[in-house]
Parts: sequence; structure tokens; C-alpha cells
Amino acid sequence: MCVLAVVMLYPFFFMINTSFKSKEQYFGAPGRSTKSWIKLFDALPVWKQLLNSTLVCAGAISIILVVATMAGFAIAKMRSKTTPIFFLGIVGAMLIPLQSIIIPAYINASKLNLLNGYWGAIFVYAALGSPFATFLMTSYFRGIPDDIVEAAIVDGLSYPKVFLKIALPLAVPAIITVIVLQFIQVWDDLLVGLLFIQDPTYRTITVGLGALSAGRVTDIPVLMAGSLISAIPAVIVYLIFQRQLVNGLTAGIGK
Amino acid sequence: MAKKSTLHQQRSRVGIIFATPALILVSAFLGIPIIQAGYFSFTEWNGIDAKWLGVSAYINEFKNPIFWRVLENNGLLLLGVPIAILFPMGIAFLLNEKVAGWKIFRTIFFLPTAISWVVIGMVSMRFFAQEGLLNDLLKAFGLGFIKTDLLSSEKGALFAVAITFIWSMVGTNTIIFLTGMATLDQSLNEAARMDGAGNFRIFRSITLPQLNRFIQFSFIITVISAFTALFSLIFVMTGGGPGFGTTTLEFFIFQSAFSRGNFGTGAMLGVILFAMMAILGIGQLLLMRKKDE
Repeated sequence: MCVLAVVMLYPFFFMINTSFKSKEQYFGAPGRSTKSWIKLFDALPVWKQLLNSTLVCAGAISIILVVATMAGFAIAKMRSKTTPIFFLGIVGAMLIPLQSIIIPAYINASKLNLLNGYWGAIFVYAALGSPFATFLMTSYFRGIPDDIVEAAIVDGLSYPKVFLKIALPLAVPAIITVIVLQFIQVWDDLLVGLLFIQDPTYRTITVGLGALSAGRVTDIPVLMAGSLISAIPAVIVYLIFQRQLVNGLTAGIGK
Repeated sequence: MAKKSTLHQQRSRVGIIFATPALILVSAFLGIPIIQAGYFSFTEWNGIDAKWLGVSAYINEFKNPIFWRVLENNGLLLLGVPIAILFPMGIAFLLNEKVAGWKIFRTIFFLPTAISWVVIGMVSMRFFAQEGLLNDLLKAFGLGFIKTDLLSSEKGALFAVAITFIWSMVGTNTIIFLTGMATLDQSLNEAARMDGAGNFRIFRSITLPQLNRFIQFSFIITVISAFTALFSLIFVMTGGGPGFGTTTLEFFIFQSAFSRGNFGTGAMLGVILFAMMAILGIGQLLLMRKKDE
């Protein structure tokens, strides 16, 4: 167990250890320095990119939450003839790999002029995250007894009111799960950000880092400092919301 | 009665309104593009003009040795799947015995889930590099004469990618099996023990069948990840090379379209990938339904 723990933690040790060395020190010279950190901040607009990542995450997650809670509630509590088809469509969409749609989606987005700001990436992330989030919300809303909803309707509340005042407050745990899951997904993604954010000033930190390494920056300590900085926010979120993340992961197993 | 039917009408009307935003979003960015991909897969397309080729587009690609090379890489990666499942299962067993500090271990093992492939790839690249830790370790164990330089050979680089992939799946699969083991019915074990069954027998005949659903789930997750989640890792770690040594289908899609400008070929490869994942997904659904009956 301990050996394995060391294996799993090794990348963190390596990143921290290496980032506090200069290039010469990495290749064997003694001592430590913060030179590489200074170089990193010169090579990469770190703060701006962290902000970009945050904005893209916030935008995509907001859309996902609105869309998925509403659709989940509709599937679970406002059934009609079309509901099964809709649900099947959502589950089917979960099977579509990003790589299968990325080329047409990219061309479409460029025709719609969505590649110059955050919006192209935000919409693609939102569309990719929504099916699973809807699935999660549906199973959560199904757990709320129909009686509660019906009693409120009989008392004269409309469905939208029931949704806002009763269902949503009850669904907070599921909502947190969706937020955490999507945050990590979007924060860590490279491909969508790489293609759908053309203007480098809007780049997210993960894309910035990916571009830095693909640009054949051979200064390893600088890359490690960058890796560390990009990993920290997601790791913090993970450490705080570990339980919700596990819930989200295992939700797909079903009953 | 009249009231009830208007209520029913209200319910389905509001239901449709509630479902609409999801429908629009998913159709616009997933539904329509997958249909477009289907259409453009039969064309020669540079992103602007498309020339219809029909089925011969597929036939030509099937004659392309690189295409098969790429699929072979995917196949070889799949060889890592059993390890990526069995190893975590063992870990979950140990953790399930509630060894001291098991919660901390669980947190540590699951940690890679939070880290991006870009970061994992960069560290992993250093690990396998000629002056990297792997060679230092070999030297430390007196095996200094084995000097590895995995990333410079085609098979070696693929092996390094596979090891990194397995490493990153450990956490996810451990968590799946831990969840599964929490649902085990302990009274069955005790009953079997009373009847004189040994540990191995209990594991094989009682524990494994109960874990079936979780083994299936982790299998699906692992295979899907092997086919669709490794783009960033490959992008950072090897760039698909050396040669086509680590180019998998998903990476080949990106290369065809965005490095070579063959958007039609890229779309076709995307359709092939989707078909593979759909077969896997539908197979899983059918299997689960069979169990339910």
C-alpha cells in the first residue's frame, strides 16, 4: 500500500521538486532556486490564463446546470408520450465521443464566428457535459416521491414553481456533484480549448501549458512549475469534494 | 375529471418546454455535427468545399496500411485493460479490509482523476526519458546495464503510454470496486464459511458474482477511456510518434483533419470511432437488460 502510495504521489513530488530548480540544477548542479518560476511567469500569462479557465468553467457549468436540471425534472416528473424518446436521445448522446463530432462542430463554430472568444469552447463543453448531467439529475429527481410534487400541484402551485421551490432545493447534493465533475473535466481539457479558442489571449491554463510543451520548450523545470500551477485548483476541488466526485462516478452503475 | 385532464395537459406541455433547452444545445453541438460527420465521411472535404466520393472513400481508407497500423495501436492498448481492472480490484480488496489509514490511501489513489492528461503526460515523459527516473531506478537495483529509452522506439513509446494509462486508471477502478464491495452481503460469506468453504472458494463463488455489475462497469469505463480519453496524453507525451508508433484512432482523427487538412477523412475516422463506441454501449445495455430479466 505504501509503495503504491509513493507511486501515485510521485508526479507531485517530481513537479514540486523540479520546479524549484534552475535548468542547470535540474541537470545535476546543487542547490535550489525560484528561477524557473520567474521564467514561467515570463513565458506564460499565468494569471490571465487561470482567469480564462475559471470563466470558461463557470460559463459551461452554468449552462449545464440550467439545461440539465430542467431536462432531468421534465424526464422524471413531467412524463408524456415523448419522454422515453427524449431520454433515449440523451443517453445516446452520452455515447458520442468528442473526436467524432469535433470536425463538423469546429467548422460550424468557425462559420458562426464562435472561435474568437470564449463562447465556442463554452458551448461545446456545455453540450458535452449536459447529457451525463441530465442523466444524473433524472435519477436524482426520480428519487423524490411523486406524492410531494402532486400534493404541491393540488395546492395550486404550477410546475415551474414546484421545480424552483421544491425540487431544486432538494437536489442540491446532485447539483454539487455535477459542478465538481464538470469543473474537473473542463479545467483539465486540452482538445476543445486548443481548437475552439483561437485567440491566444483567451486560452485556458491547460491549453497554454499544452502549447508551451508542444512549442518544444525544453526547459523542464519551467514546464513542471506550469504543470503544478495548472493542477492545483483541480486538486483542491478534488480534496474538498471527493465524496461528490465518487458519487458522480458511480452514478452510472445504476441499479 | 375535466380538471385532471387539463392538469395532465399542463404537465406534458411544461415538460416539453423544460426539455427544450437541453434538446437545442445537444442537437446543435452533438446531434447535427454527428449527422454532418456521417455525410462528410463520404466526401473529400477541406473544410470549405466537399467532393462526393461515396463508399469508395471508406474503401480507400481500408486499403491504407496506416489506418490498420493505427487500429493495431488501439488493439495493443486494449491489452492493458485487464491489468487496469484486476490490479485495482486487488487494491480495493486490501482497502476494504480497512487497513490502517485506508481513507488516506483511498484519497491518494484517486488523486490522478483530478489531474489533467497534459500534466500527467509531461511528468510521464520525464519518467521514461533516457535521463529519467526509470533508468535511475534500474541502476539503483543494480540493473544499470539495462538502459531504457522507451520513447524513442515505436513499440517502447506505446508501452510507455500504456503504463501511464494504467497508472491513471488505478484510482477510478479502485473506487468502483470499493463501491461494489460495500454492497457485498457479508452473511453469505459467513454461511459459506460454516459450510467449510475456503477463502479462494468464497471469493470465486460468492464475491465475484456479486461484483459482476461493477466489473462490467469498470471494463466499459476503461475501454472507453483507452479509445477516447488519451488524446492529450499522446499530444504531450509523444505527438503520436515515433512514426505512427503511438497514433491511436482518436489522435489520427485530429492529425488527419488539423495537421493534414483532410477533413473528410477525419470525419470518416470519427464515424468509425463512434460506431465502435456505440456497439460497446449497446452491448452493455443488452447485457444489463438480460441480467434484469
